[in-house]
Amino acid sequence: MLIEPYACGTHCSIEEAKLAFQNVSKIYGAGADSVTALTPMDLMVRKGDFLCIVGPSGCGKTTLLNLTAGFDQPTSGKIMIDGVEISKPGAERGVVFQQGALFNWMTVLENVAFGPRATGHSASVAREMAMETLQMVGLKDFAKKYPYQLSGGMQQRVGIARALTNDPEVLLMDEPFAALDQQTREVLLEEIRLLWKRTGKTILWITHSIEEALFLATHIVVMSPRPGRIRAAFQSGFGRSDDPLISVTPEFVAAKRHIFELLKSSQKDEVQIQ
Amino acid sequence: MTDVYSQSEAVLDKHDEKRPRKRLNDLWLTLATFSGLLAAWLIATGTGPWDPIIQPLFLPSPALVIQTFFQLLENGFQGKSLGQHVGISLYRFSTAFIFCILIGVPLGLLMGMNRRVRAIFEPPIQAIRPVPKIALLPLFLIWFGIGDLSKIIVIAAPVFPIIAISAMQAVQSVSRMKIQAAQSLGASRWTVFARIVLPASLPGIFTGIRLSISIAVTMLVAAELTATSEGIAWMALTAAEFLATNIVIVAVVIMAVIGFGLDRLFWLLERRIVHWSGKD
Repeated sequence: MLIEPYACGTHCSIEEAKLAFQNVSKIYGAGADSVTALTPMDLMVRKGDFLCIVGPSGCGKTTLLNLTAGFDQPTSGKIMIDGVEISKPGAERGVVFQQGALFNWMTVLENVAFGPRATGHSASVAREMAMETLQMVGLKDFAKKYPYQLSGGMQQRVGIARALTNDPEVLLMDEPFAALDQQTREVLLEEIRLLWKRTGKTILWITHSIEEALFLATHIVVMSPRPGRIRAAFQSGFGRSDDPLISVTPEFVAAKRHIFELLKSSQKDEVQIQ
Repeated sequence: MTDVYSQSEAVLDKHDEKRPRKRLNDLWLTLATFSGLLAAWLIATGTGPWDPIIQPLFLPSPALVIQTFFQLLENGFQGKSLGQHVGISLYRFSTAFIFCILIGVPLGLLMGMNRRVRAIFEPPIQAIRPVPKIALLPLFLIWFGIGDLSKIIVIAAPVFPIIAISAMQAVQSVSRMKIQAAQSLGASRWTVFARIVLPASLPGIFTGIRLSISIAVTMLVAAELTATSEGIAWMALTAAEFLATNIVIVAVVIMAVIGFGLDRLFWLLERRIVHWSGKD
């Protein structure tokens, strides 16, 4: 098998980590109504890692991303990027959302140029930077269109281009292809893998699809719900592969089965507790 | 990949082709409705070799209404030209309306953005909202005199809360995700407001404004009920006292045209400015 367990919280020191989660937990509400979205967890992400967090709804994976993006504050612990604690959203952490996060009153070009404009570049420089990333994601000819004139797949490309144009240290991606049809998703997954190889970005990718995680990731963190916690963590070799059909190899299928059973057994635990 | 592009382009083209034809069909239906109403009016008022079913005192014929219009245009009504009557009404209406937009929209935006501003202004505005403003007219007359000010205020009174509250609600319903997207692209608070919250609120603001137009026209009639001797609604009310139904109808049609024209104007503006509305 091309996956093997690793200690995701201790495999490297905080100094070495691009992203470091130390004893991070999140509880929503207070008293009897409080909900534990995330029990205390440690996680180290090295520069250039493609880390997929996989798990069912309610496992705290989106909470984890929101905390990393700075949209929300952890109840305990801290999250650091290059050793600096995260307290609010910042341009060094680019976020790609599931859908509906494009600014539909702006053209594609204006959407993608928004980041450089907001971070102080002149309008003409921002335009140039935006055109460059649009070229990279194959949307140069659609620069003057509005998002609602594009297909769902193209809209997600715009979202990725928008996040990339700021040249962020880390890309945070919250199930960006979950709402797309299977064919489009496969095309885009292949593109993301190429993009990651070309840019060497550190990527934190949220998904509920084991297959997606195996296809993309160098590191996979499996989470389980109620309360949200890390169930297991694997290093994976599939993400570095160049084979677009890797997902039909026996090794891949075996790995998928392994993680699937892990998630299923955690569901069984839950049923027993209830 | 090229497949994905060409497919979606084809979808776009089909959309653009379909729209004008559909709109043309709808236009025919609309025209048919108005033709039907006009025919009924013509028949009922005895245009033709038959006697009128409804007496001119109650419903004058279209021809008489048009004739009355030109008479009014030529001779005016009670010492003032038709243009003056329309002009003074438009002045009262638009002063109130522009005031409501200039003050109500920014205040609503602020209420939507800031909890303290909301805590200060929302309760009094919500408390005033259900009060029938016509009932306040005598008070306004006592407080602000019998001049145009009391009339402008009675028109503004119901319009202001609608515009302010709809702007506030528009801000509150701006997608959190879009704001977060802007923040994580490095946008400052001001940039988030100017380039995300403000444009995303525009559709809601437009809805509030268009909703207010018909209310403002209604309030114009209330405003010209007493303490004036000019204005298009006053003309209708005065003519009704003399049972001059033809003049009443001319005045009502003029008011309807003003209301309809303003609604269309804002509708056009809305379509141009917030063409993206509802297409997420």
